[in-house]
Amino acid sequence: MAAWDLSVSVEELGPDAPPLKISVTSDLHIGGVILKVVEKSQIKQDWSDHALWWEQKQQWLLKPSWTLDKCGIHADARLCLTPQHKPLRLLLPSGVTLRLRACFSSPVFRCVTGLCKLLNIRRPEELSLLWPVEEKKKKKDKDVEEELYDITRAPLPSSIIPKLANGMPAFFAETPETEAVYKMLAVSQPAPAPETIAKLYRSTNITEKAHINSRWLDSSRSLLQQGVKENDKLLLRFKYYTFHDISPQADAVRLTQLYEQARWAILLEEIECTEEEMMVFAALQYHIGKVSLTEQFVASCPAMDDLDSALQCLEVKMEGESSADDMLETMTAPELHDYLKIFRPKRLTLKGYKQYWFTFKDTTISYFKSKEESCKEPIQQMNLKGCEVAPDVSVAGQKFCIRLLIPGPEGMNEVYLRCEHEQQYSRWMAACRLASKGKTLADSSFSSEVQSIQSFLAMQKTTPSTNAAQTDESINTHSLVSPRYQKKYKPKQLTPRILEAYQNVAQLSLTDAIQKFLQIWQALPDFGLSYIVVRFKGCRKDEVLGIANNRLIRIDLSVGDVVKTWRYNTMRQWNVNWDIKQVAIEFDGNVNIAFSCVTADCKIVHEYIGGYIFMSTRSREQSNTLNEELFHKLTGGHEAL
Amino acid sequence: MDDIDAMFSDMLQEMDLLTQSLGEEAESAPLPKPPTIPGPQEMNFSVGFTDFNASLHDLEDNDLDALMADLVADISATEEKFATEKDTLKGSAPVAPIPSQPPSNLSFPGSSSTLRQATSSNSIAATPPPPTSKPSKEELEEQIKADKIKLALEKLKEAKVKKLVVKVEIMDGSSKTLMVDERQTVRDVIDNLFEKTHCDCNVDWSVCETNPDLQTERGFEDHENLVEPLSTWTRDTENKVLFHEKKDKYEVFRNPQNFYMWKKDKKSLKDMKEKDKEQLLEENFCGASVIVPDLEGILYLKEDGKKSWKQRYFLLRASGLYYSPKGKTKASRDLVCLVQFDNVNVYYCKEYRIKYKAPTDHCFILKHSQIQKESQYIRYLCCDDEWTMTLWVTGIRIAKYGKQLYDNYKAAVRKAAGSATWASRSIQASSSASTPSPTPKARAANGHAPQPAVETKGSSNQTSFPPPPASMETLPPPPPDPMLPPPPPAPPSTNKVNQFPPPPQFPQSSFPPPPMDDLPPPPPPPPEDSELPPDFLPPPPPIFSSCGGEALPPPPPDPIASLPPPPALQNFASAGGAPPPPPPPPPPPAPAPAASKPAGSVRKVAPPPPKRTTPQLAAPSVG
Repeated sequence: MAAWDLSVSVEELGPDAPPLKISVTSDLHIGGVILKVVEKSQIKQDWSDHALWWEQKQQWLLKPSWTLDKCGIHADARLCLTPQHKPLRLLLPSGVTLRLRACFSSPVFRCVTGLCKLLNIRRPEELSLLWPVEEKKKKKDKDVEEELYDITRAPLPSSIIPKLANGMPAFFAETPETEAVYKMLAVSQPAPAPETIAKLYRSTNITEKAHINSRWLDSSRSLLQQGVKENDKLLLRFKYYTFHDISPQADAVRLTQLYEQARWAILLEEIECTEEEMMVFAALQYHIGKVSLTEQFVASCPAMDDLDSALQCLEVKMEGESSADDMLETMTAPELHDYLKIFRPKRLTLKGYKQYWFTFKDTTISYFKSKEESCKEPIQQMNLKGCEVAPDVSVAGQKFCIRLLIPGPEGMNEVYLRCEHEQQYSRWMAACRLASKGKTLADSSFSSEVQSIQSFLAMQKTTPSTNAAQTDESINTHSLVSPRYQKKYKPKQLTPRILEAYQNVAQLSLTDAIQKFLQIWQALPDFGLSYIVVRFKGCRKDEVLGIANNRLIRIDLSVGDVVKTWRYNTMRQWNVNWDIKQVAIEFDGNVNIAFSCVTADCKIVHEYIGGYIFMSTRSREQSNTLNEELFHKLTGGHEAL
Repeated sequence: MDDIDAMFSDMLQEMDLLTQSLGEEAESAPLPKPPTIPGPQEMNFSVGFTDFNASLHDLEDNDLDALMADLVADISATEEKFATEKDTLKGSAPVAPIPSQPPSNLSFPGSSSTLRQATSSNSIAATPPPPTSKPSKEELEEQIKADKIKLALEKLKEAKVKKLVVKVEIMDGSSKTLMVDERQTVRDVIDNLFEKTHCDCNVDWSVCETNPDLQTERGFEDHENLVEPLSTWTRDTENKVLFHEKKDKYEVFRNPQNFYMWKKDKKSLKDMKEKDKEQLLEENFCGASVIVPDLEGILYLKEDGKKSWKQRYFLLRASGLYYSPKGKTKASRDLVCLVQFDNVNVYYCKEYRIKYKAPTDHCFILKHSQIQKESQYIRYLCCDDEWTMTLWVTGIRIAKYGKQLYDNYKAAVRKAAGSATWASRSIQASSSASTPSPTPKARAANGHAPQPAVETKGSSNQTSFPPPPASMETLPPPPPDPMLPPPPPAPPSTNKVNQFPPPPQFPQSSFPPPPMDDLPPPPPPPPEDSELPPDFLPPPPPIFSSCGGEALPPPPPDPIASLPPPPALQNFASAGGAPPPPPPPPPPPAPAPAASKPAGSVRKVAPPPPKRTTPQLAAPSVG
């Protein structure tokens, strides 16, 4: 067989070096070509990660036993011997950028699986990669070079389950620096400065939301095939909004990153919520931020689990004993008593505040004419169980009032209690809040309630410096809400509202708070919808297709109303005509729809639908092995077959 | 020792108080109530009666017994307490008193205050657990003492459990009277009523409250406590407790599509497959968070303090009820929150067209449960038709209670299925009650591993059921063991024989049989009850024998006379000589008759076939 010259460039020789010419015959297999090239390059190194990349055809030659003939390679082919794993800058949902090695040769789906394994994120099929938004470099502001955490030295993810050391993948436990990186992944980031939110924020209409989805990478092709270059920046995001089997013990990173993605979606109004919901989200963010600072990073290895539960057990015991001891020591249930002023607004009366001697016991407030008469019958008793408590405070005006709405048969009785100073106020306020939930002063949460009220008062006192991120106790409440509410309210106005919502979450543990946040997020009406602008067959105007985990919805672009809903369980089949880029779907009852995609490639729509079908098959099979083949079957399109 | 003595005389005073109040209770005199305590703190001992005598009169015998047992238990608990106290004193005498915290000092002041609560308020103060170990030499002695204190505290806790005698009206105009204690859920009360009324036990039965002032009705949810809301009624209330079937109680779980796909044509949803319904429920109730039906539409809202009703566009969200103000879009950011559901309940209203000039009679209100009269704090809403009202009220209940509602439903279905089993089995029992109980061997022959009967049966009552005689094939198989896999498939005819009629609204196919193993543990078998028919469960709290209650007489004319005379120290010492046995256990939880079911009804629902993931579906047509 005739020998001919094949030119192969080798990256290691430098960018300007001419390609090596090796003499080959058509029946030489790819492995042989690589061997020849390596010999000729005369470089001694580990070549095991290298593979041949065929530039003109934009494809990898990954089958070493295939002959050049079988691959269809002739003398005009320009091949390149290059590593399959290259460094990539990966922007995580939390805003942290990691520099790590990703696989450029396998389909994105497998590449993401590898990345997730490295980062200890379970259920990698729910995530994918997307291109960042093109940054408009108008101002040429010399952005401080973004912080980069380099973990390219991590070993390539093998197929073995990552070994855990100290509750983190072995690699991270090696040095203090890498350990710090892992902790950063597993612990939520401090609240961003309001300006950061404002800068990232763009008022999004549904069309713009649809554009986000055009940036997803194709799961069935490799990074290099899709034009990703070494050191490029890509975003790692949760793509399918169906989070399977979350377990706080094993999912420290996954849960944190999911929380971060949800938090930013709310701060940037990628998903809409009401003002009341925003306040709850703000309160939870504040709480999570605060607890993250104090609560120790919880390691997640089985032995630690046992230890954890043992410790918890011990803690409970200690708590039980100590509280009993406390009770015994003090001999009586704790009480509050003070001179306070009371005001009961009634129609047509303008009586002011009157001073009495107040005692707070269990869940009941009683008041007497004076301290001396406190052994007699009280003037009145008020049981606060089930009442509504609201602050009426102005730190500047030294006004510390508690507004109580106490339910009675006739309606709600409105009562104002005026305290003299902050300390008094925070104790009485905490007592009122606990009592409204039926808890007494003896409850263990009393002191933390007092503290949280004081820290909120402190927040009102100091005008927050503009750039303040969340430090120990102080925080700018503008960092917790979206720019819409930053504009609508001053921090001082926001604080009491967030505090109001905060009282319901203040006692949650870190993971409980994160899960609560995710729950409320998932209960929002628009949760889990990915939008694509489409043109339905036979229609003249663009419409929006919303894709969720159980249904497709058709949305009128001009009004924003949902026109039609189709559920997947009535879907018979869907087809993609790749030539005319049209998706056709048939539903039960002879319902047929067809549309072409305007803002995204129809592969993306196809992948979304197939992906959600894939996700729904997971719950039934209990095994943890990922059925990659099925995923590609459902999402692959024509290349897969 | 001085302070212990002081303590003791304190205790005696407490005791005095308690006996007095008990006497008053029995005489139906209102409890001594501090004159300044406002309404909510008042405690009615009975609900639905003009006076307590009437309520006692109405009680059925066994309830009366139970009530008496309770009262006696209260007294005996007090006696017990003093006995222990006495013990404690004796016990601590040889030990050098630890001035800082002698155990008796430690626990009793707290408990005496809880005693007071028992008669005047409904809150439970946590009783401090006694110290478990002491570094002293007499550790053992201390331990015994501590145990006694603990026992006494438990009894005190028992004694201060609040109980109400409630008259419940039933559909046909009759009424039943029963005693409800504050630990019982509405579910327990319904189960209790099932036994008293012998109704069909379907899941629609519910306990409701009506308020004639506001013309409202609300069905209590099964997980709620009954005593708490009833205690907030005013003393002169005309409110009533009803027991009847409410179709809308669990309709959302029978036909979730009508709620979750309410926008679609109802006719097209009528024939939805059971499989699809289950999937809807799974999607909306079994995820990380419960999904609330996306209700929206025009409702009428009664304006604050005015007579007029205004149309507004309302939207239901998990976080509350919202409306979109005039001239604004219905985008989330523009919505105004009318009310959040943490502190309010939703009530159906009657005849508001006349009462409040409402546009229609399909009204519902949202209010704090304690509000009993017209008030500016009530939100009045009016719907165009009855179905819309059901939709919104159900939606609000889902938003308020979440998954709890679904759990309640599943428990109710289990209960209903269980009752049906009981019904069919009691027939069996009467036909061949004399046959011996199944031996482990016989059961093993049927493919079961032998198991102790007590464990496998709901209660000892079951042992009286006829065992399957030797020829297994011709007779229904024995109840499958809850812990074991179902018996090998029996011939279909056998299945038929054993299949009990399902409750009316529940086609057999629509519900997978409840999992057998997550039922509540069966109540401890009462020793001599086995000849009772099954529907007599649960037995009344065991009678308290050692307190003179051997055969409980009807309430003595003058209870005070029968009570131990108050503060004679010797008296208590003697009472303490032989500590009475523990007080009656709390009324057994819902009996668990569903613990065993005929094999025929145990139908494993095959996991739904995987979604259409066939290549054909995924195969894109290239061309």
